[in-house]
Amino acid sequence: MKIRAIAIITFKEAIRDRILYLLLFFAAVCIIFSRLLVLLTVGDRAKIITDVGLASLSVFGTLMAILIGTGLVYKEIDKRTIYTLLSKPIQRYQFLLGKYLGLLLTLFIMLALMTVIFLVLFLLHKYPIEGSIFIAILFIFVELCLITAVAILFSCFSTPILSTLFSLSFYLIGHVSWGLETLINKMPQGGIKTLARIIYILLPDLENFNFKTEVVHHLPIPPKIFFYSSLYGILYTVFILALAMMVFRRRDFI
Amino acid sequence: MKKSFLIILLILSCGLFMGVKVIVDKIPRSKVPGASIIYLPSGKYLKHATFGYSSLLADLVYIWAIQYYGDHTIAERYDNLDHIFSIIAELDPHYLDPYEVGAIIAVYEARDPYLAFKVLDRGLEKNPDQWIFPYQAGHYAAINLKDYDLARQYYKKTMAIEGAPAIAQRLYADAAFKGTDFQTAWENWEEVYQMTDDERIKKIAENHLYQVKSAMDLAKLKDAIEKYRQINGRFPDNLDQLQSAGFLASIPKDWDGKDYIYDPKTGEADSQLKWWKR
Repeated sequence: MKIRAIAIITFKEAIRDRILYLLLFFAAVCIIFSRLLVLLTVGDRAKIITDVGLASLSVFGTLMAILIGTGLVYKEIDKRTIYTLLSKPIQRYQFLLGKYLGLLLTLFIMLALMTVIFLVLFLLHKYPIEGSIFIAILFIFVELCLITAVAILFSCFSTPILSTLFSLSFYLIGHVSWGLETLINKMPQGGIKTLARIIYILLPDLENFNFKTEVVHHLPIPPKIFFYSSLYGILYTVFILALAMMVFRRRDFI
Repeated sequence: MKKSFLIILLILSCGLFMGVKVIVDKIPRSKVPGASIIYLPSGKYLKHATFGYSSLLADLVYIWAIQYYGDHTIAERYDNLDHIFSIIAELDPHYLDPYEVGAIIAVYEARDPYLAFKVLDRGLEKNPDQWIFPYQAGHYAAINLKDYDLARQYYKKTMAIEGAPAIAQRLYADAAFKGTDFQTAWENWEEVYQMTDDERIKKIAENHLYQVKSAMDLAKLKDAIEKYRQINGRFPDNLDQLQSAGFLASIPKDWDGKDYIYDPKTGEADSQLKWWKR
């Protein structure tokens, strides 16, 4: 109940944030801009709209998660409202989980709005909407769940600017870490290779949630990857949230 | 929430996501290797979007291209070779390696020397002081295409660039000889012979002068022998008969001053030595 109450308050707070609407506006502009881009292309126009649409959903969803998430906890500490909150019978983990779930709800609604704009554009062109598009969007949301957890983790001990930088770095690392495998395969056997492999497995691999290529090129997706990718996302999110709770419980507000 | 519970949760979730990661990596996913690169606009426009890091982006595209062309499972990987290497050239026109490597891939992997010429011509256009590009192109024209006229054009461009190696003129002379322009070949080998102080090069030039002179003399002899046969209905008994019959003003001798050998049965003349065995 306490988590739910904090989540609702966080949601109400987040939807009042003007930056959210600014990002939503730019996302809508980008999605609609694909209408102009298709005029410049030769061949498959649906591909351009799908590419730009899914990329906008992913990029602007991430920016929303990071820009709002990094300020959530910090603002409470900075404005000293945290003292009032924690003086109530609320556990710190409940506070964090409430903040996290509130932001997730906000992101879910924003993603749904962007999806509607994207699909309307699709329908206006009379292109058939394939089910795989929804799978790609669902996994964009799974990725946002993880990014939000990361933003909240950094928000627990750092300023919003630094937290934004750290979270963006996490996002970038997550999308390029797969390249490390190529490097590892070229390494000679030994301790360095083992260490590199451990780092590779430990680093986030956000490409596990990226099904945009398969959707755009109508490629088959192995069904079991949905389960394992979701599980990976959930476990990584739990790990980050647990880390955030560890950090947050060590903070001294008295 | 107790600290011990959090630590257990942390370790457990970490171990589990690492385990799941290993499983996910083993699931094969459909890929369109390199598909994204063909959607990159021309480097000319892309450069403006790099915020001053065009050289860095050129490095990244080049490294990507090396990996891409090393993947032999992509059958159609050569379709966009020119586009990819033109992007690198526009992003960093003075980055020399991609031109050379792109040309090597075009010739030896794609088996398309004309594609290599495009890459190398672009390299020369952007770097007019780099003799390596026309030199490499001349090499491909001579060795891979056997187009000696084209090879000569490239070697001539190489020779005109300051700092070009001396071997360019020798290759130019050799291409002229193989393209049956004996006069140009002779003039260039003679210049090499006169100008060099290196005994090894002098010997090489001398051997080639022997080769060119033999080729020119044997062509004259062949022509005279044929005229003699048409008039007399048979080959001459010896080469001196060509002079006495008025087909030649004098009987030529080879570079070493030795007579050419002649077989009256077949009517064929030849030099006594092979030029490379002198």
